[in-house]
Amino acid sequence: MSRGKVNPWLWVAGIVLLATLIALPFGLSFSQREVAVLLVINVLLVSSYRLMTLTGEWSLGHVVIMGVGAYASALFSKRLGVPVPISMLLGAVTAGAVAALLSFPLFRMKGFYFLIGSFAAGEVIRLIWKYFTNPFGGPKGLKLIPGFPDIGPISFFEPLPYYYLCLIVVGMSLFFLYRIERSRIGLTFHAIHWQDKLAESVGVNTFSYRMLAFVLASTFAGLCGALYVHYIGTINPNRFDVEEMVFVLIWAIVGGTATFYGPILGVVVLTVINEVILRALGFDTARPMIYGFILIASVLFLPNGLESLVPKLQAWRTSRRTAPEGTPASEEKA
Amino acid sequence: MKNLLARTRLDRRDFLSASAAAMSVAATGVVPKVAFGAEKTVKIGFLAPLTGAVAAWGKPGLDGCQIWADWVNDAGGIKVGDDSYKVEFISYDNEYDPGKARAGAAKLIKEDGVKFIMMLGGDTWPGVQPIAENEGMLVSTLLPSDLTPNTKTLIAPCEVHPIYNVTGVEWLAANKPDAKKAVICAQDDALGKPSVATYLAAFEAAGIEVVDDPLFFDPATTDFAPVMTRLLSTNPDILCLDTCYADYVHPLCEQAFQQGFKGTIISCTADFYPKIVEKTSKEFMEGFIFQFPDFDDPALNQPGVNFPKPNEFYAEYAKRYGEAEWGAVSWEYASIMDLWADAAGKAGSVEPADVLKAMKEGGTGKHAFGDAKWWGTELFGIDNALVGNWPVVVIENGKAVIKEFRSIPDWWDKHKDLMVKHMTALGQMWNQRG
Repeated sequence: MSRGKVNPWLWVAGIVLLATLIALPFGLSFSQREVAVLLVINVLLVSSYRLMTLTGEWSLGHVVIMGVGAYASALFSKRLGVPVPISMLLGAVTAGAVAALLSFPLFRMKGFYFLIGSFAAGEVIRLIWKYFTNPFGGPKGLKLIPGFPDIGPISFFEPLPYYYLCLIVVGMSLFFLYRIERSRIGLTFHAIHWQDKLAESVGVNTFSYRMLAFVLASTFAGLCGALYVHYIGTINPNRFDVEEMVFVLIWAIVGGTATFYGPILGVVVLTVINEVILRALGFDTARPMIYGFILIASVLFLPNGLESLVPKLQAWRTSRRTAPEGTPASEEKA
Repeated sequence: MKNLLARTRLDRRDFLSASAAAMSVAATGVVPKVAFGAEKTVKIGFLAPLTGAVAAWGKPGLDGCQIWADWVNDAGGIKVGDDSYKVEFISYDNEYDPGKARAGAAKLIKEDGVKFIMMLGGDTWPGVQPIAENEGMLVSTLLPSDLTPNTKTLIAPCEVHPIYNVTGVEWLAANKPDAKKAVICAQDDALGKPSVATYLAAFEAAGIEVVDDPLFFDPATTDFAPVMTRLLSTNPDILCLDTCYADYVHPLCEQAFQQGFKGTIISCTADFYPKIVEKTSKEFMEGFIFQFPDFDDPALNQPGVNFPKPNEFYAEYAKRYGEAEWGAVSWEYASIMDLWADAAGKAGSVEPADVLKAMKEGGTGKHAFGDAKWWGTELFGIDNALVGNWPVVVIENGKAVIKEFRSIPDWWDKHKDLMVKHMTALGQMWNQRG
């Protein structure tokens, strides 16, 4: 297919997906809508994390950076009286700015050292939140943080309007992330991942591009934090500890990071299993064990992530369509 | 018979279809959880961590509530007005996460129709607060540091954490007068800090010197050897473990044992202490002071203790879940239910506002360890904490024994200035939080 032409089936699939996402809350219970809000935010979180991994660096500080956006947005609105929509943007910008500062020490490292360095940097930030009760609230954090302002009769305290708000913000952000990946910048990220020395030899400033990926990913992570904090209304340093980061890694690994949709599949499937199905089946206390079992099974049987199922499914459908007469596939079709 | 079996045998397709149907029915919640015929049922929410690092202060409480519900329901339910109500607990694991606590509160209130929610509180309460206030839901917490003048429907009717810790220190000072130097450690979180302030006040009131600054370690700490080395470097007589979670108390004790500590250990809790005794020794753990008794203790049968049939409750708990699973909160949520049921009976209603009014009528209430008063304005900005006597528990020959019940209000009347001073210094007064 030539560049610029889009498969019409993709348009249909996109419209169906959009309609499903719009209609989804009406098929959910009230508490499931609450879960849906957090899920939509986490979709952006894990997608922004993937942008970071495009350059080949895996960070353990992404959730802390989300916290930077959350704290910044909370403080701008609570202490300085900045309107919440603006404070959300400022929170995202602050997270990006902090990432830019961290880039200088962190990108002196690569691979495993970068991973550990990002963990250490995240812990320093968390300790700052704990140590300075003013303005960060110390270990207990901040509470009674203003929510997104009502628009006429629409109260964003309720999960339904907030779901749609998040859907719009996250949808726009995902589009932006997708376009970045498909641009020359995104191709350069990939080049740095696979052949950084070669990229340098043709004049690519790898530090700048790594920094750009880190700052962009952090800005969107900060936006996630801002969306979270103005919905939940409270924040504390433990919310952004390494245990939460492990969940982001799990979503990315189980979903796969080779495609744009891989981590999204991971977060959606695992959240639905953990928060909806297992709870509904009454496995409240057994959930960590079952969750662990699912992880082990997925690593064993789907080492390339859930995303690896999609081409297999497509190949299967193609083989069904093109199977010659008399073969089992064509008989099944008939 | 063989033919019958052959006729009714499921093939793989039938089995999968039937399983899938059963799973989807269960998943959509169509299956009734408990059926009590035509009798009325009141649902109570249990919103606490049932998994994760803080599960020790949630799961044993739910287990205790199940015993409470079985006993009450077997006896015909609770009498409210002209009706008898069976009690059904609906639990939701909030994983000690405010976002999940909010989702849980929404489910319990809007979908399950509970009339009362019991929580551990702490980090999770701010996530629940707006929805509870909007819905006028009565909520209990074990952590009164959640209380503020605005939390009108939040009560701390059982555990006035950490104020009761003063009774342990008072007992220690009276019974081990030679112990004069103490050190304190705590995890750096919302539970650790107010508890440190309380121990500092209690030690000062008892004339015990705290020889080093309290050591706050990160909740993610897993290696406690350096923590203990630093604590023992000043050669203290008393090692105070503050309100550390069970996951910290156990390794801290092991480290103290391995590093040769010979003094007295005092701690808010010693959940699953038989496992600590196993890992150390009976001799090492002899004289360990904490605040949460085993309910097989005969001292709980003395007049004035309001918890009904404590020894039988403990025996049933040990039978169902194992003696080693008994923890600080195993009885607490059940004792809150006693108070709630009593208030619902008085109010003639299970509606939250009516129950709260009846509960606080006269300014006193029947706390598990004796009659107590609703208190807290000076510390929390609201009189929604029920405070009275609290037991001092000491491990003797590998077993927890209640040594004495001491009055928290009496200590408060004498030393409240010290408490306010230390709480203020650590930023823990209600008007300093968040």
